[in-house]
Amino acid sequence: MGEHQLPEQFVGLEPFLDWALATEHERVARRQSAGMPAIRDFYGAMMARIEEILTFLEGYAIEKIPAAVNRLFLLTLSLAEVAPAVELFSQPSVIDGFDFKRFVPVHD
Amino acid sequence: MAAATSRNIAGDRKWHDVYPELGTGPVPIEPYVSREYYEREQALIFRKVWLNVARVEQIPKAGDYLVKELEVCNTSVLIVHGKDGVIRAFHNMCTHRGNKLAPEASGNCPGLFTCKFHGWAYGLDGALRHISDEGSFFDLDRGALGLTPIVAETWEGFIFINMEERPSETLEEYLGEIGAGLRGYPFGELGATRFAWNAEVKANWKVLKDAFQEVWHIPTLHRKSIPNVFSDAANKYGHALEFRLYGRHGRISLPGNFGRKPTAVESVSVRYGAGAIVIKQSESVLPEGVNPMRDPRWSIDGNSIFPNCLMYVAGQTYLTHTFWPLAENRTRWEVRLYYPQATTLAQRFSQEYSKVMLRDVNMEDGSTLERTQTMLASGARKEIYLQDQELLIRHHHHVAEGYLNAGGGAAR
Repeated sequence: MGEHQLPEQFVGLEPFLDWALATEHERVARRQSAGMPAIRDFYGAMMARIEEILTFLEGYAIEKIPAAVNRLFLLTLSLAEVAPAVELFSQPSVIDGFDFKRFVPVHD
Repeated sequence: MAAATSRNIAGDRKWHDVYPELGTGPVPIEPYVSREYYEREQALIFRKVWLNVARVEQIPKAGDYLVKELEVCNTSVLIVHGKDGVIRAFHNMCTHRGNKLAPEASGNCPGLFTCKFHGWAYGLDGALRHISDEGSFFDLDRGALGLTPIVAETWEGFIFINMEERPSETLEEYLGEIGAGLRGYPFGELGATRFAWNAEVKANWKVLKDAFQEVWHIPTLHRKSIPNVFSDAANKYGHALEFRLYGRHGRISLPGNFGRKPTAVESVSVRYGAGAIVIKQSESVLPEGVNPMRDPRWSIDGNSIFPNCLMYVAGQTYLTHTFWPLAENRTRWEVRLYYPQATTLAQRFSQEYSKVMLRDVNMEDGSTLERTQTMLASGARKEIYLQDQELLIRHHHHVAEGYLNAGGGAAR
């Protein structure tokens, strides 16, 4: 029997695992390259379960996170990353904004 | 005081009447484009005043160090946490022939900084400890050949340096009343989670500083993201609750529009902590210099620390913008954002949402910087025009002129 990549009750989100990215740099790059249909699919799938997801993650401290829980957590960070694209800009990038590639995160 | 500020939000009082010494006329463009003016800023401002270069959380343990490239003062600064707990700063230069001693941005040095060129080595206190092939040198006075120190002091966990050999004021004196009022703010506690971005921008450093020390542009420039974060029907442009000038420093205190409709992600995020754009403070435990009016409409203060640092402090988060000139038309823009330690993964998600929003809003701000510089440098006009809510921009020019005309140091 194969291990699930996500906590069992959230295995339905496994098609979106390529959004489970560890750094802001990677999440920004995916937001910029995925295209709006893929961004909206991911956003919709996450928001459909967001109450359960956050209730679940509220039970985990920051340290020593099981790998499957960490993947779910990273999906929520990508949700935060794409939220403005879906909710504010209706496009991946900030409208007429400064180039993300030049605003370099130095915290990852 | 609250009555006065509410009148001001309605627009029947001008802050420039409170500070008539600033004048109300147009501001010259020359300080934004002139190389000669920039060279005077370097010599008479940046080499004379206290400069905020780091936070203590960046070098928490003995031996931890970081390197701050300080182009505006033509040097690289090595900042070291000593075994005695003292934080020291040095020119990052091997005494032998001048090689940069620590080429990395940061690290931990267990005992000796060893030059990678010929192997001279220095203690964490800057003393010269080892001279390779010593017998082949001539008449060296080892005691005088340690790293060249730079004066460093800390205030509330911020590390400041001063390029003068003997600064005319201590850091505490330099920060004066604005520093005293901020004492006790939980900078250390909020330093637990630190996000940091750097960008190199082809614009004068004051174009950047100006952009972040007025907020009445928000309903226009940020129309797609956070148009009404500080504004509402009664305060259409998000006018400040209060401006106050403290000698060379200044503060803008802002109201929050707590009735604005959150987005779907924002509304789930706020339940887990940081994720609101503005948070209403139910009961203030903040020091007296933060929202000193104790205005219930308050959301955040912008503290402008001369010359190049803005410190925005709110109830549960703070952020700094620091603008490091590289030339008269180039700037390294450093944004730092701080939150308390998240105790759960849901709280960390909430911080991420807040962080992403701040970053995206900064990307909107960033769109204006190089365009503005290009046109300021065109020569098409000689002056720009400031309104009442742009008081801190006018104040910067007023303070800078004091330094440049007094030959530095004398302006207060």
